[in-house]
Amino acid sequence: MPDLARLSVESDGDIELARVAGEIDASNVADLSQRLLDAVSNRSRALVLDLTETSYIDSSGISLIFDAAARMRNRRQQLRLVVQPRSFVGEVLAAVSMQDSVPIDPVLGEALRAVGAPD
Amino acid sequence: MAADEATTRLEDVQRVTEAALAYLDLDDLLDALLQRVTDILHADTAAVLLVEDDGRTLAARAAKGLEEEVERGFHLPIGRGFAGRVAATRQPVVIPDLDDSSIEVVNPLMREKRVRSLLGVPLIVEGKVVGVLHVGTLTPRDFQEGDVQLLQLVADRVALSIERSRLAVQGQIAQTLQRSLLPRRLPQLPGVSMAAWYEPAAEETAVGGDWYDVIELGHRRLGLTIGDVAGHGLAAAIHMGQLRSAMRAYALEVESPAEMLAKLSRFSDQQQLRMATMVYATVNLDTWVVDCARAGHPYPLLIRADGSGTFLSDAGGPPLGTGAVETYDEQRITLAPGETLLLYTDGLIERRGSTLTEGESALVEAATAAPDEPELKCRSIIERLTEGIAVPDDVAVLAVRAVGLYEEMEVHVPAEAEQLAIVRHLIRRWVSAHGGTDDDCAAFAIAVTEACANAVEHAYGPGDAEIRLGAVLEDGEATVTVRDSGGWREPRGHNRGRGIPVMKEFMDDVAIDAGDDGTTVELRRRIGGE
Repeated sequence: MPDLARLSVESDGDIELARVAGEIDASNVADLSQRLLDAVSNRSRALVLDLTETSYIDSSGISLIFDAAARMRNRRQQLRLVVQPRSFVGEVLAAVSMQDSVPIDPVLGEALRAVGAPD
Repeated sequence: MAADEATTRLEDVQRVTEAALAYLDLDDLLDALLQRVTDILHADTAAVLLVEDDGRTLAARAAKGLEEEVERGFHLPIGRGFAGRVAATRQPVVIPDLDDSSIEVVNPLMREKRVRSLLGVPLIVEGKVVGVLHVGTLTPRDFQEGDVQLLQLVADRVALSIERSRLAVQGQIAQTLQRSLLPRRLPQLPGVSMAAWYEPAAEETAVGGDWYDVIELGHRRLGLTIGDVAGHGLAAAIHMGQLRSAMRAYALEVESPAEMLAKLSRFSDQQQLRMATMVYATVNLDTWVVDCARAGHPYPLLIRADGSGTFLSDAGGPPLGTGAVETYDEQRITLAPGETLLLYTDGLIERRGSTLTEGESALVEAATAAPDEPELKCRSIIERLTEGIAVPDDVAVLAVRAVGLYEEMEVHVPAEAEQLAIVRHLIRRWVSAHGGTDDDCAAFAIAVTEACANAVEHAYGPGDAEIRLGAVLEDGEATVTVRDSGGWREPRGHNRGRGIPVMKEFMDDVAIDAGDDGTTVELRRRIGGE
């Protein structure tokens, strides 16, 4: 069986860019959470979590994001999400007013600019 | 040879042959061997060249002391130069002194590095030359018979490893190609529920021949196909790709399955393709008329609503690729709501020591006992018929089920997180089959997953808890019920608190009834509207 989701992580200086393609649910959220944790070091300035290729997310994924946001706030690191506005994931996050806690950008370029990534 | 010389030689031999067994990665193996060979033979350079796919050129693959040979992509036609001569004559060749040799040495690197003496041996596998192994020295050297024998021994081991590695790579390519040719997902259309499952042969090298496909022909018609190409490996996968492409090209123009197979028979003949068996069927999703033609392939199985099974054996014809252009007839049936058409490959029914009829009976038993839902049916059938057996062939199954508009679904799944994706699959299919839009499918997928989350999180152990899923459509409103055997607990941690708002966001109505014997969540939403 292929994996439900694929996570890829790149660093651009002190900015970590994580992309999740596929579905996030209770079966893989713990593993993804750990790998995201590993991706962000003390020297990271920000994590941009790109969900444009995420086809499914529910309350377990939402909790992952809120937990990550809290962790990063404590360490004074930024977290931004990239989500297409009229997508399923966009609707799910809007249902829990995610944008009030974590900034959401419609495209990757805007998120990177917002965290001050070099062009 | 003196006794201790012989012992040293034996140890040397073991050093090179043991290395060959320990390494799996070909390039690492070659590097290690060349290192050992230069040590043992007190040589300064060593190299391995392999014969290219064209069979006429040698290309440098690994080198020691002559690394540039590989970096520069050195090539040599067989027959020319030193290595070319070794390959052409299939014999060891010695050049005692390059400065004084009648043998043309083409490689400029030899002169650059001032190599003086060379000894080369062929790499031979099953009578075929696959490469050359040579060593060189920077001072003139008189290679002895013992040196030649040792090098030839190393060469034999290298040749075997190369062949093994080549087959493994080819096998991987074949698998990748074949997987890429199987549909990533089947179309989801109202009124029909489809699923397919493919199980590769137990032995990796046997993979390659089976495929299935579903094409939307427009006007609520589908083309279904399943096939089995003779042989294994890369050649079979390529062959399968050709048939698939041809079929897709013809499908939009050819109405009749019999005509489709006749065209593919002509195509196979023109392209000189090997044998393949195949079923091609067209399905009208409104009338449920199915026309089916068969080229030497196992009979499609019709599973009726009453649980009986009938093989479609009326129409048939020879396999494709017989060397003649064949003609076919076709058979027509009509599917009633709830009936399933099952296409499969012979890996499912052929068993050593049993007859084909016994295999077919086993299939009918497995198919009629399996759940109705096509996804679960395919998995159940394959599991039941391949359990505990290392099936020597690929197995592919394609199930197409006519769904009545007011059909209920009732399935049980274990309350495990890994099952959630399957549950979403089932729910999306059901909603789609009953006229739901993509948004409706997505809405139910998330709401049902949230409703299952409680059971999944609090199940006391694997196999202990079960989720019962029901779905009913009435007057355009779908009601999906999720039942588990645990009480709906108060929100613990963040998750629980969020599940309910999410369900309410996507459903018109959410009702949670927590009882002593279990919790029932009822989700309602109008589906199919604009």
